[in-house]
This record gives sequence, C-alpha cells and structure tokens, in this order.
Amino acid sequence: MNTSVPPVTDDDHILGPAGARVTLVEYGDFECPSCGAAHPVLQAVRRAFGPNLRFVFRHFPLRESHPHAAAAAEMSEAAAAQGKFWEMHDRLFEHQDALEQAALARHARKIGLDAARAERELIARTHAARVERDAESGRAIGLRGTPSFFIHGVAYRGPRDRASLVAALASAAAAP
Amino acid sequence: MAKKVTETAEPVGTRRLGRHTIIRLAIYYLMVGALLLLVTGIFPKQPMTQGEVAPTEMAEALDWLRWRLVALPGGSPRWLDACVQMLGALLLVLPMAFTYIRTRTRLKYDHSIIQTIIVLPIVVTAILVVVQDSLALAFSLAGIVAAVRFRNDLKESGDAVYIFGSIGIGFATGIHALGVASALSAAFVLVELVLWKLNLGGEFDDTFRRLCMPGGADLAAPPHSAGDVPVAPAGNGRKRASEELEGDARAVLLKIYVLEAAAARPAIERVLVRDAKQWAATGVEGDGASKVLEYRVRARKSVGIEGLRDHLLVEGAPHVIAADEVEPAQRL
Repeated sequence: MNTSVPPVTDDDHILGPAGARVTLVEYGDFECPSCGAAHPVLQAVRRAFGPNLRFVFRHFPLRESHPHAAAAAEMSEAAAAQGKFWEMHDRLFEHQDALEQAALARHARKIGLDAARAERELIARTHAARVERDAESGRAIGLRGTPSFFIHGVAYRGPRDRASLVAALASAAAAP
Repeated sequence: MAKKVTETAEPVGTRRLGRHTIIRLAIYYLMVGALLLLVTGIFPKQPMTQGEVAPTEMAEALDWLRWRLVALPGGSPRWLDACVQMLGALLLVLPMAFTYIRTRTRLKYDHSIIQTIIVLPIVVTAILVVVQDSLALAFSLAGIVAAVRFRNDLKESGDAVYIFGSIGIGFATGIHALGVASALSAAFVLVELVLWKLNLGGEFDDTFRRLCMPGGADLAAPPHSAGDVPVAPAGNGRKRASEELEGDARAVLLKIYVLEAAAARPAIERVLVRDAKQWAATGVEGDGASKVLEYRVRARKSVGIEGLRDHLLVEGAPHVIAADEVEPAQRL
C-alpha cells in the first residue's frame, strides 16, 4: 500500500478548521463492522482535539462483502447535497444493521432531509460518481480494507483504540 | 522512554481555618481551665486541717474554699477523685477530636479514631488512679496488657499521633497533673492546626521553599522534573492531593497533550481553578515532541467535563493539543 494519500480538497467531507494542527483522513464503509466500532472512538478523538483536529471522511465501500455499503454511501451524499452529511454519517454508523433502501429512506426522514428527494437521487444513482471518486482514490494508493487512517497524509497502522489514536495524533501535531 | 512524576500538591491558602474556630477553641480552653480549677479546688485530694484562719493571700483562697465547701475531712473519696480526673481528661481530649475531624478529609476520616481518642484518656486515667504508686499493681497491669494483643492498621499513619496524644492526656490526668494535660492538649491542637493549615511537607516545592530557602529565593528548578513548574493560581476550584480524588467516582482522569509543559501548565490550571470543583495534578509523561500532563478533575456541574475540555483546548492554545478523558479500563 502506498503510504501517502491524495491531499484534502474542498470536495472532501471535512470536520474541523483548515488550520488545525493535525489532519486525520478515514477511508470508511458504512456497512463495515470495524468502521462501526471505530466510529465512537473517532468521535471521542474528535472531542479530545477540538479545533486542533481536521477530520476527513472518504468513501471506500467494499461492495463484494457489504451489499448495502454503496447505497449507504450514496445516501450520505444525498444528505450532503442537503447539507446534512455528518448527521447521516453518524446515523448510518449507529444503525449498521438497517441499511437496505427502505431503512435508508427512514434515516433520511429521521434526520430531517427531504426524504423523497433523497430517495429519488438514490434510485437515480445521482451521487454514485462522487462515491466512486473517493473509492478510486483509495484504490490508487492500494487500499484493501476499512477503516484506513491517514495522519497528515501518512498511513497509520497502529492500534485503533482511542488512547493509541490520540497519542499518535498528538505526536503528529507536535512534530515540527 | 516515558517518565512519570507523581505529585501530591495542595497550595497554601486553600485550607481555611476561620477566626471563629480559633476563638471558640480559646474560649473552650478558658472555660475548661476555670472549671477544672474549681472542681479540683472543691474536691481536694489531701485531707484538710480545720481551724485554719481565712486566707489573706490569693494563693490560699482555694484552700479556704475547700475547707468551707467540702465536708470531707479525709479528703475526697477515691472514686470521686477518679471522676474528677476522668472528667478533666474528657474535657481536654475533646478539642483533639475536633481537630482530627477538621483536618481530615472524608476519605481519610476514621470514625473509630474519634471514639478511641475520646475514650482512651478516660481509661488510662482510671488505670493510673488504680495503680497509683503501687509497683505490684503496675507489674500486674503490664502482665495483663502483654497478654492482650491488639492489631489494627491505622487508616493514616498520622492517626497514631492522636492516639499517643490521647494517652499522654490520660497519663497526665491520671497522676493529677491537670496543668500538664491542659498544656499538652492546647499545644497538640495548636501545632496540628498550624501544620495542617500550612500543609507543611505536603508539597515538595512549597516545603523546599519554606525550609531551605527562607529568604524567598525563587525556586526555579526543583529537582523532580525538568520543565515542571509549580503553579497554583488563586481561584475557586480546590486543588487537592491526588489520592484524595482517587476514590471520587465523579472525578475523571484527563490526559492533556501539550507542546511544552511549563508554558501550558499555567493556562491549564487557570481553567481548572475556574471550571473544576476539585482537581489534582497527578503526573507528567513523555519526553518527546509532546508531553502529557495528567490531572484528576471533578468538573463543576454548570460546566461539565465536555465544557471544561473545550475551555482547555481554546484557552490553552497554542500549547494544548488535546485533552482526552481516560476511560476506566485504561486506568489500570
């Protein structure tokens, strides 16, 4: 696997200020149990760093093993089109057992989206290209699994527990 | 390799000793002194001789009072004498019990010590009244005490001082030295309160400055950790010794990642003083690019740990990188 990741652009889904001390990029899959397990850890890490962390999420749906992952990713993009990507991102990770089309429409309603529009876009695969662009950037650097983390653009291969991630990010943030 | 420095610090000034407390203690001692003087005067130990003339000197007033008030030509009976001495012991040990409660935290407090130090001098007094000058009784007592074994771990090593103080008062009253017992009680309470107030020995930096640098020289680099600057800004948040917060379920362990400990610490502690109800510095880790300052913190309800952490990140900038709450499983 190539250890460097494509730079963060305005097209990415970003939480945190551009001038943050450290940037963490995650390639994730909404149906991946490991990503689901990492979700609360990442939330805690984000809270620990506050404005010192810029968190970036990129789609990397593993279509072979997770049949609903691509649709979930596209629904999250439909939410992004209505300005609610992170709400949908959190909801999907918290409801990984309900990612079929009807459930996705229900999630859209729950977070206050125009559910009919989101469902139309999902059926029309309006955002498939956007999801595929993220996935392609992951494949380009040799990604095989999720979640994959990059700190300051460099692959993080350490443990995915909170303490280890916080320590690694802090170390990267303090590096000259 | 990461190094860890443990601190148990509490700045001077956070231990409040009100003026009312001191006044009440002084009044108490005056009243007890007067009472004991009167009671010991009324119930003399030695027989009085009748037919003496009325006293002309103040020093003879008590003898005259004894003769006028007490119709006990053979002196007060032994049981009455014992009661007077035991009453003296009880009255003189009560301020010590008060001092114990005042200077102990909820965690360090041991209720059995309170009962022990109150009852012990009474028992010791009674024993000494029984033994008096009898060598045979003294040997018997030693034999009995040797046969009975007590093993009890004290919660605090300092509690032993209270036990000894209590025995001392019992001894003094047991040999009718109420003056000595009073002096012991007053001196004990005074010294104990002063030591507690100053927290002498509780914090290395402070003790070092008080004892080794009386001229007030700046303690620039105490020999415990590089870049670890003792700072205790004034405020409402109580800085506590680390072990005092360990058992507090409402306190969390915060790991604060900083660029430079010395620069970050004042800002961090300013926030803690304001936003924490109680807090304690528990250590410093790491000697690489970043350092980790560990604090055990009980946040104010109005702020919450999340709010406190946000304030640390914002007000601690640019030195504070992250503030992570350590999960219980990680504390092992």
